[in-house]
Amino acid sequence: MTLPVSRFQEALEAGEFVVTGEIGPPKGTNVEPVIHEAETYLKGNVVAVNVTDIQTAVMRTGSMVGCKLLLDRGIEPVFQMVTRDRNRLALQSDLLSAHILGIRNVLALTGDHVAMGDHPQAKPVYDVDSVGLLQAITGLEAGTDMGADMKGNPNELDGVPTFFKGCCVTPCTEVVEPQIIKLEKKVEAGAQFVQTQAVYDPATFETFMKNIDHVKIPVLVGIVVLKSAGMAKYMNRGVPGVQVPDAIIQRMADAPKEDRKKVSAEIAGELVREMKPMCQGAHLMTLGWDDVVPDILEHAEIKP
Amino acid sequence: MIVAERKPFDEILEMLAPQKRVLVLACGGCVTVCLTGGEKQADELASQLRLAARQKGMDLTIESDSITRQCDREFIENLKADPGQYDAVLSMACGVGVGFMSELYPETPFLPTLNTTFYGANTAPGAWAEYCRGCGDCVLAWTGGICPVARCSKSLINGTCGGTNDGKCEVDQEMDCAWLLIYKRLKELGRLDEYRKIRPPRDHRTDRGRGVRRLVHEEMVELEEEESQA
Amino acid sequence: MRDGDLTSRDVAALPSTCELMEREWSPCRHACPVHADVRGYIEAIAQGRWRDATDLIRDNLPFAVVCGRICHHPCEANCRRRDVDDPLAIRELKRFVVELQGAEGATVHKAASQDKARVAVVGAGPAGMSAALDLAKMGYRPTVFEKFPVAGGIPATTVPKYRLPREALQIDIDWICAHGVELATGLEIGKDKTIDDLRAEGFEAVVVATGLAKSRLLPMPGADHPRVHPALKFLTDVSFDHPVDLGQNVLVVGGGNVAVDAARSAVRLGTGRVRMMCLETLAEMPAYEWEQQEAQEEGIEFIHRRGPIEILVRQGQIVGVKARAVTRVFDENERFDPQYDDSDVIELACDTVIMAIGQAADMGFVEGSSLRQDDRGRLVYDAATQQASLPGVFACGEIVTPPGSAVEACASGQRAAVAVDLFLRGHQIRIDDSLPPEIDSIAEDTAEKVINVSREPVEAVPPQTRVKTFGPIDKTLAREAALRESRRCMNCGAGAEVLVDKCAACLTCLRVCPFDIPKVTDVARIDSSLCQACGMCIAECPAGAIIARGWDARGLPARTSAALASAASDGHAKIVAFICGHHASAADWRGESEVVAGVAEVYLPSVARLSVSDLLAAFEKGADRVLVLACHEGADRYPQATRRISRRVDQARQLLAEVGLDPDCLRMLELPDEDGEAVHPALVAAVETLPAG
Repeated sequence: MTLPVSRFQEALEAGEFVVTGEIGPPKGTNVEPVIHEAETYLKGNVVAVNVTDIQTAVMRTGSMVGCKLLLDRGIEPVFQMVTRDRNRLALQSDLLSAHILGIRNVLALTGDHVAMGDHPQAKPVYDVDSVGLLQAITGLEAGTDMGADMKGNPNELDGVPTFFKGCCVTPCTEVVEPQIIKLEKKVEAGAQFVQTQAVYDPATFETFMKNIDHVKIPVLVGIVVLKSAGMAKYMNRGVPGVQVPDAIIQRMADAPKEDRKKVSAEIAGELVREMKPMCQGAHLMTLGWDDVVPDILEHAEIKP
Repeated sequence: MIVAERKPFDEILEMLAPQKRVLVLACGGCVTVCLTGGEKQADELASQLRLAARQKGMDLTIESDSITRQCDREFIENLKADPGQYDAVLSMACGVGVGFMSELYPETPFLPTLNTTFYGANTAPGAWAEYCRGCGDCVLAWTGGICPVARCSKSLINGTCGGTNDGKCEVDQEMDCAWLLIYKRLKELGRLDEYRKIRPPRDHRTDRGRGVRRLVHEEMVELEEEESQA
Repeated sequence: MRDGDLTSRDVAALPSTCELMEREWSPCRHACPVHADVRGYIEAIAQGRWRDATDLIRDNLPFAVVCGRICHHPCEANCRRRDVDDPLAIRELKRFVVELQGAEGATVHKAASQDKARVAVVGAGPAGMSAALDLAKMGYRPTVFEKFPVAGGIPATTVPKYRLPREALQIDIDWICAHGVELATGLEIGKDKTIDDLRAEGFEAVVVATGLAKSRLLPMPGADHPRVHPALKFLTDVSFDHPVDLGQNVLVVGGGNVAVDAARSAVRLGTGRVRMMCLETLAEMPAYEWEQQEAQEEGIEFIHRRGPIEILVRQGQIVGVKARAVTRVFDENERFDPQYDDSDVIELACDTVIMAIGQAADMGFVEGSSLRQDDRGRLVYDAATQQASLPGVFACGEIVTPPGSAVEACASGQRAAVAVDLFLRGHQIRIDDSLPPEIDSIAEDTAEKVINVSREPVEAVPPQTRVKTFGPIDKTLAREAALRESRRCMNCGAGAEVLVDKCAACLTCLRVCPFDIPKVTDVARIDSSLCQACGMCIAECPAGAIIARGWDARGLPARTSAALASAASDGHAKIVAFICGHHASAADWRGESEVVAGVAEVYLPSVARLSVSDLLAAFEKGADRVLVLACHEGADRYPQATRRISRRVDQARQLLAEVGLDPDCLRMLELPDEDGEAVHPALVAAVETLPAG
């Protein structure tokens, strides 16, 4: 067995219940507030922090530079990469660059369609899909890129990167088998960990975990912090594969405005606590409410 | 077949602006079938243009004609009007027809009146939907006859993404998730193994990766041409 | 391409798409002995074009009024509407329009110059007059010799006046004579003059059309009694108001139409009891069914399956007829061969007998000529050339054809005119009698989709009233009823044709046809025998690949233009109103309704035919506003027409908006569900809804 390439990998391999966080770079160059938040609330509380890649197709600062800034402040980043915006040349090039910058964790994603974002006129690239991206990373790690020379031999790299490669899955979708098959393909293509789409229903998640019992990579259950009942309802309507049960919506609705953060942290914490036995970690998506992370961990009965 | 939709009238009028004598030329091929560029639609556009010209005091003479197909040289013999006699021709053909006729009549501007939108099938009376992207590397054999290139909004080739939502696509709640359809179809056919296989990234050389695509059937190349080459 | 496929080139080479209708004929036209353009004149009636209708009828049928009253109307028997509900009342429509127009209201097509040979016609019945008319139209100078003081033949001398008023007949005679047909009445050939005399006087041809003017008689005891009347002579005497010796108990012997005429005439002369005795059963009787029915309504009793053997005379008076039973009338080959049972004899009491057992030719015209007769006394004659045994002598009508009706005599006379013309021009007489094929019967599932409209009833005079006079037994259709009836016509054979070179097989026709007629194979195929000619597919075809036989689909803009030019605008906005004429009055169609200022009215058989281009073209032709007045759904002649036109109007409004015109300048309104006079008030109201200025 090869040595872990990151602290994140090391923790999972050590059998710890690993918690990761997430930040989204800003639209503009003013990146300091988000990095400061990460430093304040995430550093020390979570093992690694995902940096989103032009999330929901809304144009913003890149993932790679966010990762670099976290590294500089001693926080281990997870470099999210979507295949929406770059063809295979740009993706592989960015992977080499990321490695040079010291980035070791990569989360390979397809990415929301440009139609969902603020540049719907943009050309969606999708030269490769998430499986193809994972294959590409695995290839780079083996010292070759996706291309070939005139004789058909793979191009050799001068200096070879190594990554801890992750992928995503949606556990709570109505027809789950195609998701599971795709997960199997991602694992076959080289995925080493999974961070799931948001889960609010532990029972469904438990079933899902049983269904992927044969998939031997660690799973971090995804928790999206609810900011209001309205947001929950919106997600039920508009976000694919996310179902917030009525009881949780009611709890958010009943909470006075000043207590919402508290209630939200309670809900998230309880969810993590309940699902802790089923999986290997939790991925907290706070959507800017980084300050609730300590509370969540407390409710989840997790010591940083 | 090729499906096209009529350009906004103002755009047509704008591209036409400096011309005085204009022929609206219908195409009797695909665009007739999709009720966009046939003789009827050419007559309607011609009528609209004459009305607009009167409205705006433009000096514009509009006539119309139709042709079996604008993508074959031989049919131009059947034209009643000579395109060369006009300042411009408003072609009701798809982009292929506009481009090809422009080559045949280098002196006459052929202007597009349609936006060529997709290769589609007639899904219901008056309705067409995209079924093929002309990618040059057909995958339908292992996708249960449902094209992921044309009908998945991300043209994914390894399965559903996280954007599938109640069987619909994240892009449009009216649009089926192609991969969910493929999954269901393959399952019905007992061929889920096809879904399980990892498909390598597509080879885009067949799809615009090497510029203009061509097709030559050697056996049909004109005899004289072959002789001159020999 | 298949046999019979049409291309746009084929059509461009035609003078008009009317020619296409000659490829197949509608059953009404095909069955008509003179092949009148029935669909054409019915359509003209539907549009209030009385004169056009009359002219179309008279183009083929000189005895239009006669036939409007007494024709046996094979057109109706073959009308495809019978498979939907009831056949069209074609005869009644003809009667309506030709009598409305009279002789003056029909166009006279006189030859440019009438200087060709003189031709003598013997007999002024339908056959002779038809021959004379056609010869006159060709420039010959015909003279018709008639032994009776009036022209008309059987219709003038024997058809009872309650079936054919003589002033009505006179319309036909006057119109025919207006073409330069000379009449010499009261002059009997063979008696006053011979055929040889005629030749000597310079008539270069003679047409014998003397018909079957005599009743046949049966030799039997008592047959020479003065109260035994030959039916034709009896009817002629009645016609000319000559006194007839009739008792109070009349027995008419015979079962044909003449027998019924005689019986019904006897009733009208005040006879107490009238009975008819015939060999046939009720079903076998040759008299038309409606004649039988009307006779029974008038109290005439039928005695079937009896043949007379003796007229019983006692003390100089007829007291009865001895009649034996009939065991069969026809042999196994359907030939007339009656067999009797002489053991079954009855006596029928009566005091007068009218013999109506058949007609015979009066061969008197042969006297003084060398015309040959066969061993049975019939004129020697060649049916192919219509020539008798002397060069230049022709024959037509019932004297040489089997007994028939007036329209059949007309057809025979017309054929004789062709033969005479060929002869006089020195040509061999060869007449092409071939006809275009007839379109098939309508399929059951098509018939089911045609909207049912019941036949307009003809108002009959009640039997108790009509038996008292020789006045007409029924009334002519009222104007509104005639319009409604004519609009039941299914336009058989005037439907859609696909131009195969233009068809893109797009399936639009198949999708918009309310009758599910088109099939798309290599190209669209529209079965003309099923097509209802609604025009829906023509208006929608994106390729312009469908045309209608006999109707220029692209001619509407020109009509619109003409209507605009003739509409007085007086500074008002110019409005074109496309109006479904299915319920419009004749005055509306003819533009004789009260003028609505600035409105150019364009009437259509149905709005189904109105295309988006037609709507836009109206604006191009100068309309400021365009109205579409459609029947409301269900009231239109065709299913779905209202919904389709409503969508087309919406589409046209969008196209207008793109151009920068106010889409409200084009509006569609549905007509109220009332007939005739409601259309114009609706138009006035609709104009109010348009934007001002």
